[in-house]
Amino acid sequence: MPRVKRGPQPRRRHKRVLSQCEGFWGGRKNHIRQAMHVLWKSWQYAYVGRKLRKRDFRRLWITRINAACRENGLSYSKFMGVLIAKGIELDRKVLADMAVRDPAAFKQLTQLVNAG
Amino acid sequence: MRTFVEKPAAALATRKWWVIDASNQPLGRVATRVATILRGKNKVTFTPHVDTGDFVIIINATQVKLTGRKPIQKHYYRYSGFPGGLKSISFEGALKKHPELPLQQAVKGMLPKNVLGRQLITKLKIYASAKHPHEAQKPELITL
Repeated sequence: MPRVKRGPQPRRRHKRVLSQCEGFWGGRKNHIRQAMHVLWKSWQYAYVGRKLRKRDFRRLWITRINAACRENGLSYSKFMGVLIAKGIELDRKVLADMAVRDPAAFKQLTQLVNAG
Repeated sequence: MRTFVEKPAAALATRKWWVIDASNQPLGRVATRVATILRGKNKVTFTPHVDTGDFVIIINATQVKLTGRKPIQKHYYRYSGFPGGLKSISFEGALKKHPELPLQQAVKGMLPKNVLGRQLITKLKIYASAKHPHEAQKPELITL
């Protein structure tokens, strides 16, 4: 019996799937059955990753703010507590960025906190 | 606005050396402080996947203290893989035989268990006495 290759539609579909599987390990990047399976799984991981990213960054900002606070003789929790009590609505992202790129401004903030 | 990410080269360029005197200090107190510095968590440029930490030299490692009866009771274990191959050494014995072992173990246990963690521990230098061969690096003293 002659070998049957199916039409352009599945080929296009397979191509689309495989193009998204670049960099996967072993048969996962060039065998369509394996590729489809891991591609769906990769979307699941990506979905989870988008949620985790927000938590991971918040953790990183807190670590950095804490480091900056301790250089100025404060702890993170004291610092944030006073900021909130004073109604200073700078979020952690901005504060962490300030600590890295503008230490002088951050120092002024800690002085404000120490004064109050 | 993108969150700042430290470049490995920049972290390497700003790396400093610190000396910590372990004499009469509780083991864990020294170790937490050292682990923080090695990881760079005391810096605003801390980046989890980059080694942003400094070097740490611990001197007087033999004079590190444990509270209570732990000097006799605390043991370090290692297993050779053969039956009956479990070796143990007490904290006191370890200080005599390998003065750097207790501090090394304590700090290592506080670092991440991955490739980066194994890199970080190499920045820790432990010496039994007050002498160390790193004067050329001009280390600064940290008081606990």
